Amino acid sequence: MGKKIAIIVFVVFIALQFFQPSLPEVIVDNPNDLLTNNPEIPGDVTAILRNSCYDCHSNTTNYPWYSYLSPVSLLVVHDIEEGREELNFSNWESFNKIEKAGAIDDIIGVIEAREMPIQIYTVIHQDASLSDSERELLIGWADEYSDSLFD
Amino acid sequence: MKKLTLVTFIVVSVVSMSFIDGNKTASISSTDGNSYEVPADVQAIIDNSCYGCHNTDSKSTKGKMKLNFDKMSDLKTSKLVGKLSKISKVVKNEKMPKKSFVEKYPDKALSKEQSDKLTSWADDLAAQYGGE
Repeated sequence: MGKKIAIIVFVVFIALQFFQPSLPEVIVDNPNDLLTNNPEIPGDVTAILRNSCYDCHSNTTNYPWYSYLSPVSLLVVHDIEEGREELNFSNWESFNKIEKAGAIDDIIGVIEAREMPIQIYTVIHQDASLSDSERELLIGWADEYSDSLFD
Repeated sequence: MKKLTLVTFIVVSVVSMSFIDGNKTASISSTDGNSYEVPADVQAIIDNSCYGCHNTDSKSTKGKMKLNFDKMSDLKTSKLVGKLSKISKVVKNEKMPKKSFVEKYPDKALSKEQSDKLTSWADDLAAQYGGE
């Protein structure tokens, strides 16, 4: 009985591999990227953004091996598409000041409310989960950056 | 009979609430010295569709954490512009008021006209303080 189920699961898993969604495109050259255009952003903040945010919120996604396996790939595609649509740091400099301030407010809000990074992502990418001090650091930078827009 | 009492109660509450709204003086001033009045029609939209979750006594912890109309006056320019920008975005994208909320309270839904009024108010003010 157990063997039969295992075989069925295996067959379904193999069959699923024939249905691969296309993963959102990785674009390396992003002239409007936040980090490339703002070298004054401190290194520790840059590291947090790249490590905990950029996989879903930029065009420079690092796809792990399992993102090529169905049905995980479906979830990955969905999260990245949604993430880029909501906020894409690769397009940062195409936003005007007001849009930037709105995005910063959003960033601070989701970090404070611990909505981001999403849990399913940090379960797999444990190094992407943010400690309290990292959250503080990111919020502090975001707040100062936003102020600097209106100096 | 019970039904009639209930209907009367609802009518009386709605009517009295609209009186309260009508008398509210609405002004927001930021700590950076920005201050302005909220037009009565915009304030009515906020009171009906937004304020319920976005106030200091709200049961929605996340709702008041992200936007609290009672604390708009404490905001510096960057925050104020950020909040206004965000208000406009979520209303335009129909992310707010939340679907589940509107399904439960259909009268809180924003009509196209209300949505336009609210977002153009937010956009104009943000532009005024954001310098664009």
